[in-house]
Amino acid sequence: MSSLVGFLSLVFAIGINFYLFLSRYIFKFQKQKFNLFIRLSSLLTLLSFFSLMYAYLVSDFSNYNVFQNSHSNKPLIYKISGTWGNHEGSMLLWLCILSIFSFFFSFTKNIEDNFQKLTLIIQAFLHILFGLFIVFTSNPFLVNSILVKEGLGLNPILQDPGLAVHPPILYAGYVGYSIVFSIAIAGLFQNTDDEWLYVAKKWSLISWTFLTGGIALGSYWAYYELGWGGWWFWDPVENISLMPWIAGLALVHSLMMVRGEQAIKKWIVFLSILCFSLSVFGTFLVRSGILTSVHSFAADASRGIFILLIFFIVTGFGFLVFLLKEPKKSNALNLLFINKVSALVINNILMIIATLTILLGTIYPIIIEVLYNKRISVGGPYFNSTVIPIMIPGFLLMSIAPILSWQTNKINNSKKYVLAFIILSILVILQSYFLDFNTWGFVGLLLGFWIILASIIAIFSSYKIKINTKFFKIINPHIAHIGVGIAIIGITCSSVFQNELDFNLNEGDKFNVNGKTVLFEKIETTNENNFQSLRGKFLFDIEKNQSKEIEAGKNYYPVSKMITSEAGILHQWNKDIYFILGDQKNNEWFVKVLINPFVSFIWLGVIIMMYSGLIAVSRR
Amino acid sequence: MNRIFILTPLIVLLIICIFSLVYLLSGKDPNKPPSALLNKDVPIFESSSLYNANDIIKTKDIKNKKTLINFFASWCSPCKIEHPLFFEIRKKYPELYLLGFNHKDPTSDAKKYLEDDGNPYDFVGVDSDGLIALEFGVFGLPETYLINEDGKIVYKLMGPITKDILKNEIEPLL
Repeated sequence: MSSLVGFLSLVFAIGINFYLFLSRYIFKFQKQKFNLFIRLSSLLTLLSFFSLMYAYLVSDFSNYNVFQNSHSNKPLIYKISGTWGNHEGSMLLWLCILSIFSFFFSFTKNIEDNFQKLTLIIQAFLHILFGLFIVFTSNPFLVNSILVKEGLGLNPILQDPGLAVHPPILYAGYVGYSIVFSIAIAGLFQNTDDEWLYVAKKWSLISWTFLTGGIALGSYWAYYELGWGGWWFWDPVENISLMPWIAGLALVHSLMMVRGEQAIKKWIVFLSILCFSLSVFGTFLVRSGILTSVHSFAADASRGIFILLIFFIVTGFGFLVFLLKEPKKSNALNLLFINKVSALVINNILMIIATLTILLGTIYPIIIEVLYNKRISVGGPYFNSTVIPIMIPGFLLMSIAPILSWQTNKINNSKKYVLAFIILSILVILQSYFLDFNTWGFVGLLLGFWIILASIIAIFSSYKIKINTKFFKIINPHIAHIGVGIAIIGITCSSVFQNELDFNLNEGDKFNVNGKTVLFEKIETTNENNFQSLRGKFLFDIEKNQSKEIEAGKNYYPVSKMITSEAGILHQWNKDIYFILGDQKNNEWFVKVLINPFVSFIWLGVIIMMYSGLIAVSRR
Repeated sequence: MNRIFILTPLIVLLIICIFSLVYLLSGKDPNKPPSALLNKDVPIFESSSLYNANDIIKTKDIKNKKTLINFFASWCSPCKIEHPLFFEIRKKYPELYLLGFNHKDPTSDAKKYLEDDGNPYDFVGVDSDGLIALEFGVFGLPETYLINEDGKIVYKLMGPITKDILKNEIEPLL
């Protein structure tokens, strides 16, 4: 029953959007009526999504999708997240978020009616494309042809609270760019005043903030669930989320800097189209199964071709409009040797080069396989040696960019910055000399601290310190950059200065980690509701009274016959001690211990960036 | 000049779409990559027997004999389908060394599986963490590799062996 409701409301929603799309040409609507229809279609899409969720909640195995991806003894949270833990459901979530964005956009005030309408018509067009994709190739409401009492279960690797919320947040970022895309195209068509830029800024900040959160959740999950001790692997799926993120960052900066310059406006339109195109391209790469990773669900060529077609239509349409329609002529670019505008241009160029470099590395294997029938994989070494050096000048620049002048080459208090940079360099050199020298470590630490230090100097020397909301809004760009600095320090330390220790242990053995004695207490196996767990229990720092207990082990999921590794992590503010339990050989357990310094700084940095993103939404 | 600049995104889009389309239409399965291991030396491995943890097999132990390596698990239903064919191979080519790797399987399940369906292998190695499979580039079970006397991989099959495959692809190499 719920499947029927879901399917019908999905079809009705597509029908309404079709009607709205035609309204541009055939039926003319009043604004109120138009908005009413948009909201109705959003509610129907939501209803469709919740019908599917309901089928998951009650374990309705007469729905083929539920049968394939759920199991009745799964905990409630994973029944809910199972809704989007599969290809069909996650595409429905995609559509659902698209219509939620349209829903909220229909409430936007202070913009011209025709402009708003056109934006929503483009959204309706996107809704139709993705809606038809779902109905024809990925219908989550198919009826199960056999009568069953039990389902096949959700991929255990996805049974994790972090991963339950990761897709919706990530999608909110991806799909959020659809609104930005629609606004930019509508802006080109209507050729109105610059009002659309402010609207676009708000929505692109929202999307970027969601995308940041989504990516961070994904990498935090990889960190504690995959059990490799790393948090970023340059996996193709990570790369395709990073591309719209960097392009979106360039977009956000351009939107904040634009003062009506023709060239920048054009660039903003380009970036808006690019961000959404990259999002759709990412969807294509993952959903077509061209790339294999934990994220790909069952591959199906017809699906791939359908999304490729959508990607082609959306991107082709966007760039074609961009080619044919130009933004209204206005101010010229005020480019000096070093002022705000030139810093913005440099930062944008770097970000786009970085995006293209990642794009090249991601599609290169496809091109090679088509041409030479050879499978190659492009991984960490390529990306580390290309993307990171490209970003470095940008990082250097960002520390002072917010205080650069619009009109002149002058930098206020430039002596302070030079002095600070010299002192900092000496400190970092001393650190490398006495502790552990590594080129990347040196560069990363210097950059990270420099960004933080310069931002702090800028805050204290350029503004009057007050503790109120207005002040925090003014210094928000600096706060965002401090977040980046903190994240860079975390990234550098955890990847460059990571320490790995291997042990072969018996229960009851004591061993030494980082000067602290650790007791390998025992191995324990328990039967949980939907899995069996094997845990090694460790007592960290047993010489102290308050020794900490760490559990590392594996879970075995009988329904899907899979084993997942569960790392045991002891979080300290300056380092994570990461335990991985290996296999038992000759009665000894293999235990790997990784010491990851300053990992928490990465997450802290990300949280600061997201905070700044949200504050910037409210700032005009 | 400006025009060319604006046209670039469309050209790039076209190139990406053409390549992706060719890829999709060529029926390439991302799960079945052309093997990089063909005609290469068999990867270095070391594994203990399913029945006796002290009985170890290493890469050098299969030197100088033709070896068929099969990755299987009790939870893998296609493995069950191809399983009887190994007895046929066993009978027809007694000199061929059959090495099975039990992949990510609880020992008790694996033993029970081989008890119920029979054990055609000369040696059953344990690959509980999947590290050996990783070395061989195994994508999914079952997978089968034929190693010649020089220790080179001469054949690789993803998915279950069928009678046709055995006759047309594997037997000519034996």
